[in-house]
Amino acid sequence: MKSWSRKTTLLAGAALIVLANGIALFGVWGNRAGEPEAVVTLSERELTLPYRGQRRENSGLALALNWRVADREMVDLMYSYPSRGGTPDWLDADHMAQLGFNVSGDEGDASSAAQRRYTRQLSRDVLVVLEVDGPVWRAALETAREHAVRHEAAAAANPGDKEFANRAKNARESLVREEEFNSRLFAIDAGLDAAALRARYPDRQRYLILKGTVRPRTIVRDKKTRFSGYVSDLAVGAINVPHALRPGIENLQARYLGVSRGQEGRFTATVATGQRLEPWLMAIAPVAAAVPPRPAVKR
Amino acid sequence: MPTQSEAQGRADDIRAFRAELDRLQAEEVLVLDAGRRDAVFAHHEALLASLATRFDIDRDSRAKQLSLGMRVASFLGALALSASVFFLFYQFWGRFNELAQVAILIASALGSLGLTVWIQGRDATGYFTKLAALVAFICFVLNLTMLGQIFNITPSDKALLPWGALAFLLAYTCNLRLLLLAGIACVIAFVAIRMNAWNGISLWHTLERPENVLAAALLLLALPLGVDHRSRPGFAALYRVTGLLCLFVPMLVLGHWGEGSYLDWDAKTIEQGYQTAGFVFSALAIAIGARRDWPETVNTGIGFFVIFLFTKFYDWWWEIMPKYLFFLVVGLTAVLILVVLGRLRRMARSRSGEEAP
Repeated sequence: MKSWSRKTTLLAGAALIVLANGIALFGVWGNRAGEPEAVVTLSERELTLPYRGQRRENSGLALALNWRVADREMVDLMYSYPSRGGTPDWLDADHMAQLGFNVSGDEGDASSAAQRRYTRQLSRDVLVVLEVDGPVWRAALETAREHAVRHEAAAAANPGDKEFANRAKNARESLVREEEFNSRLFAIDAGLDAAALRARYPDRQRYLILKGTVRPRTIVRDKKTRFSGYVSDLAVGAINVPHALRPGIENLQARYLGVSRGQEGRFTATVATGQRLEPWLMAIAPVAAAVPPRPAVKR
Repeated sequence: MPTQSEAQGRADDIRAFRAELDRLQAEEVLVLDAGRRDAVFAHHEALLASLATRFDIDRDSRAKQLSLGMRVASFLGALALSASVFFLFYQFWGRFNELAQVAILIASALGSLGLTVWIQGRDATGYFTKLAALVAFICFVLNLTMLGQIFNITPSDKALLPWGALAFLLAYTCNLRLLLLAGIACVIAFVAIRMNAWNGISLWHTLERPENVLAAALLLLALPLGVDHRSRPGFAALYRVTGLLCLFVPMLVLGHWGEGSYLDWDAKTIEQGYQTAGFVFSALAIAIGARRDWPETVNTGIGFFVIFLFTKFYDWWWEIMPKYLFFLVVGLTAVLILVVLGRLRRMARSRSGEEAP
C-alpha cells in the first residue's frame, strides 16, 4: 500500500473535519429552521441545575431534563423522590407490539417460554410524548393529597405511636414535594410516527415529543403476569444553556425541600423542539423574589 | 528504497552477524584474515551510517533499550496530552458564545492535524508524530462530541465513521499502530451498533448481544488478506489480533451467558455451543498461525485456548475438588500443553528441513 504525501494527507484530513462539522451543523440548522415543533414552558422542577461540584471542572451549563412516569408499582416512591423512567399502565402488550416488540405467546402463563422470549428483547428507539403540567400531574398531586390525609388520620387514630407519626410526617413532606418541587413533566404515550403522535396530542404548548427508549418488562396485575414496557431513557437527557442566556441563572442553586426558601432557585424556561425533535432553550429567567407586603403606614 | 523496518532489520542482522563471527573465530571454525575482516567491518559501518542518515535505527542493544523507553514515554505522553486537551476545553468552554465554541473546536481539530503533518516531516524517530497524531484524533473526537452537547444533538453511531476515517488516515500516513488501533476500535463499535440499529434497537444496548461484535471479527480478519501491509510492520498483526479478540471475547462471554445470544434456544445449549466453538476456533487459530508464520495469531490462539480450558475446569471441578487437587490438575494441564506445543515446534522444525534435537 502506497503512502500519501503530507500535503494530500493534510488536505484529506482537513476535508474530512470540515465535512463532518458541516453535516452536524446542517443538522442543527435543519432542526431549528421554520416553526418549532413544540414550545413549552418549564421550570426548575423539570430542568435540574447541576451540582456545584460538577461545575468545578466543567464551565458549561446544561439542565437535566427531569421527567417522570405514572408507575403504579412505584407509587410510594413516586410521591417522595420521583425517578426518571417507569412502567406505565398505558404501555400494555398491544402498545408494545405497535412499538415493534414481539408479543406473541401466552403472557398469562408464568412458566411460559414466551415470557422469557419477550423480556430477552433489547430496548428499542421510540418517540415519547411528554405532558407538561397536565391531567397526569394533577392526578399525581391528588393522590399525594389523599395519601397525606390518610396517614394523618391513621396517626390521629393512634396517638403516641411513632411509626404512624413518622408515616404521617413523610406523607406531609411528600405532598409538599409534589406541590412545590417534583417535576410536572410526565411521559404519557410512545410511538414510532411523530405525525400520528402530534395528531393525537395537537397542543404544542403542553405536549413535547422527544426521542427515547423503551425496553420490555413483565408486570403482575390482578395476580396475572402481563407484557408491559419500561420507559427508560430520553436520547437527549440534558439541555445546554446558551452563553447569552446564562447570566440570569448562573448563580442559582438547585432547590431542595427543607433547604430552599421562598422563590430561591426558581426560574422559568421556554424549551422548543425542532424538525428532528431535538430540544433547545429559547429563554430562561429567574422567578423574581416575592416582594414582602409593606406594613401599613398610619397616617 | 528500504522502509524503516527493513533498515532496522538490516542493522539487527549486522549486529547478529558480528556476534556470531566473534564466536566462530573464538572456536576457530572460521578465521578471517585481517584484511577481509576490516573490509567487511568497513562495509557494514558505511551501510549503518547510510541507514542512520535516513532512518532512526538502533545500531546496538543499548540504543534498542532506550528506544523501548522512548516508545513507552511517547505513548504515555500522548495519553496525558489528550486528556489535558479534553479537560482544558471543559474548563473554559462555558466562557465563550456558541460561535466562538464552534470556531475553537474546528480550529483545534484542523490545527492539531496540521501540526501532526508538520511534525511528521521533521521527526525521523516518529515518537513526536505519534504524540501529535493522538492529540489530533482526540481533538476531532472532542469536536464532534461537544457539537452534540452544545446543540443537544441526538447521539449517533455515525460519528464513528469520520473518527475512524481520520484515525486510519493518520495511521497509514504516519505509520502509527496506536492510531490504527483507534480506527479499528471505531470500526468495531460502528459495525456492532449497526447490527442492532437495522432492527430499531437502541445504540446503547449493543453489547447486550455480544454476537454483534462477531461481524467486525470477520471484517478485521479478512482485511489483511486483501491489503498488502509489508511496508507497515505490525499493521497486519494488529488487524489479526483485534479480529481474534472480537471472535473469542463474545464466545467466552456467551459460553457462560447463553441468555445474551440472539439464538432462541435453551441457554445451556447455547453456552455449550459457544464453549465448543471457542476450543475449535482457538485451535484453528494456533494451526493457521503456525502454518502461516503469524506468531501473534498463535499466541492469541494459545491464550484463549488456555482461558477456555481453565474456565471449563473451574465449572467442572472448583466446587467438588479439594483446592490442592484442583490446582494440581491445572498445573498438570499446563505441563501437558507445554509437551504438545514442544512437539508442534519439533514438527515445524523438521518440516523446514532441520534435524530435531
